[in-house]
Amino acid sequence: MSSQAAAVIGIGQTKHKKKRDDVSLPGLVREAAQRALDDAELNWTDIDAVVLGKAPDPFEGVMMPELSMADALGANGKPMMRVHTAGSVGGSTALVATHLVQTGVHDRVLTVAYEKQAEGNAQWGLAGGRSGGMGAGGIFAPWMRTYINKSGAPEDIGWKVAVKDRQNACKNPYAHLHLPDISIEKVKESPMLWDPIHFLESCPSSDGAVAMVLTNEAGAKKAPRKPAWVLGTAMRSELGTFPGRDTVRPQAGVECAHMVFDAAGITNPREQIDIAELYVPFSWYEPMWLEGHDIAGPGEGWRMVEDGSTQITGDFPVNPSGGVLSSNPIGASGMLRFAEAALQVRGEAGEHQVADAHVGLAQAYGGAAQYFAMWVVGSSLDAVGARK
Amino acid sequence: MTDTKQPDSKQDEAVDPNAPITGMDYFMKLEYHELICPVVREFADALMEKRLIGHKCPKCSLIYSPPRGYCPICTVQTTKADEIEMQTRGIVTNYTVVTPVQYYGQEETEPFAKVSLQLDGGGNLSLQDLPGVPVEQVRSGMRVEIVWAPDGERHVDDVTNRSWGSAEGAIRGWKPTGEPDADPSEYSDKVF
Ligand SMILES: [Zn+2]
Repeated sequence: MSSQAAAVIGIGQTKHKKKRDDVSLPGLVREAAQRALDDAELNWTDIDAVVLGKAPDPFEGVMMPELSMADALGANGKPMMRVHTAGSVGGSTALVATHLVQTGVHDRVLTVAYEKQAEGNAQWGLAGGRSGGMGAGGIFAPWMRTYINKSGAPEDIGWKVAVKDRQNACKNPYAHLHLPDISIEKVKESPMLWDPIHFLESCPSSDGAVAMVLTNEAGAKKAPRKPAWVLGTAMRSELGTFPGRDTVRPQAGVECAHMVFDAAGITNPREQIDIAELYVPFSWYEPMWLEGHDIAGPGEGWRMVEDGSTQITGDFPVNPSGGVLSSNPIGASGMLRFAEAALQVRGEAGEHQVADAHVGLAQAYGGAAQYFAMWVVGSSLDAVGARK
Repeated sequence: MTDTKQPDSKQDEAVDPNAPITGMDYFMKLEYHELICPVVREFADALMEKRLIGHKCPKCSLIYSPPRGYCPICTVQTTKADEIEMQTRGIVTNYTVVTPVQYYGQEETEPFAKVSLQLDGGGNLSLQDLPGVPVEQVRSGMRVEIVWAPDGERHVDDVTNRSWGSAEGAIRGWKPTGEPDADPSEYSDKVF
C-alpha cells in the first residue's frame, strides 16, 4: 500500500453525561464535530469526506441513523460512510478515516463517533429484546476470573484500577463520572454485578460524541495547532467463540498489538510508549490488555497496577482521561481513546496531561473481545526514533 | 445500596416531576421466522431424542456443538460423516452470575448463573443452566450431568442458528453428580 503521512489536526468532544436531553442525535454529533473543526480552524466546506461510527442500532432503537445525519455532518455531495465493529467501532472508524488520508484518496477527513444511550436501552439491545440477557459484563466476567486464577493477582487490583481511573476523570472536565470521594473501600463494598466485577468496577452508561479531523502532511503543516502524527495503525478480528479459544489473551489482540508496534517502529512498548489509552470497561481489563498486548509479560500486568506504574505519574500511564470506566458513550468510547492519545502527544490534554508525552498508544476492542483497533500517535514523525 | 443502575455524576440533575415531558418510551417489536440451517436442525432433532451431537473437524479434531457444517479455523466443510454423539456428563469450566437489569421484556428478577461445560470425552457447551443450585454454590470444577425436559414437554422452538448450545426447551439444565470436584488442570484452559 502506497502510504503518506496522516495527522490529527482537530479534536472535539462533548461533555459526556447520563442524559443529554438538550440535544437530538444529530445535535450531539454536530456539537463534537463543530469543536473539532474549530480546533483545526476549518469550515464544513473544507472537509472532503465524513466517516461515522456508532455501536449497534438497537442501543437507541434508531435504525440507520447515518441517513439522517448526512446533513447534520455537512456531508451533502460528499462521500460519507458508516463503520460498524461493535464496541471497537470508534477506533475502527478513526482508522478508516486515517487510511483515506494515507492512501491519498482525500485530503481532509472528518471522523465522528457517538452513542446516546439514554435514548434507548443498551441492555435490551444486547439481549436482543429477550429475557435473561447476560450483559457485556456477564460475557467478560468468567474471562476475568480465569485471568485472576492464572496470574495469581490479588483481588484488590481491580479495585485499584477502578479508583485510579475515577481519580483521573476528576481532572477531565468532559468525563461523565466525577467521583472525587472514590476509595478502595467504596469499590469493594459496592454491589457485585457479575462476580468478580463490582458495580464501581463497571463503566457507566453515557451520552456523548467525539470527532477528529485528519489530514496529510501538507495539511498538517498549515494547521494552526500542533498535529498528532499517526505513526502506525492496525486492525484485527477473530471468531467470538470456538473451542480452545484463548479468551483471556485473544490471538487477534496479540497480533494487532505487534502489527501496530512494528508499523510505528516500536521494539520495546513499555519503554518507548509514554501514555496509553486502552479500552477498559471493566477494571480487570487493564492488566489483561497490558499482558494481552505484550506490553507486560505474563503475570506482570497486575504488578504494573500494584506498583503504580499505570498512574498518571507512573512510568506507563494508562487512561489518564479516566477511560471507559468514567465515560461510556459506547460507539464513541473507542474513538475517545484515539482522541485522548492524540491530545496527549499534542500536549493539549489540560489537567490530565502526562508530562513529556511524545508517543501515545490507543486501543479499542469490541464484540466478545473479537475486534481490535489500535493506533500509535506521536508528537513528530520521528517521535519513536527520538526516544532512547 | 442495592439498586443496579449505573453511577451518576453529581452534575446529573435529579428528575423534576413538574418538568415538561421531553421524551417517552416507544416500544418496537419485530417478528420474523428464521430458517434453521440443516446441521442445526439435525442437532435439534437429536435433542428431541435425548441425544447431544456435534461435528468433529477432520483436520484439527475440534468439536463443534451445535455443529456448524464447517470448521471456521481450518475453513473445511464438516458433514454427517463427522458427526459424533457426545457424553451428557461433564465439568463446569467457568460461570457467570448475572444480576438481572430490569429492561423491557426481562423476566429474571433474581441473580442467576450460566455455566460453560467441558463434556467427558470431549466437546463444550456454553450458556447452560444449573437449576436448583443456589448461585453461591456454583463453581468451576463441579461435575454435572444433563437433565432432559420430560417427554411430551420437550421442544426445540428456542434453538436458532445463533443459540450456541442454549436449548432450554430440551435441556432443563445440569445437576451436580455429587462426585469430588475436578482438578483445575482438567479444565483451566477451557474457558468459553
Ligand atoms: Zn478444524
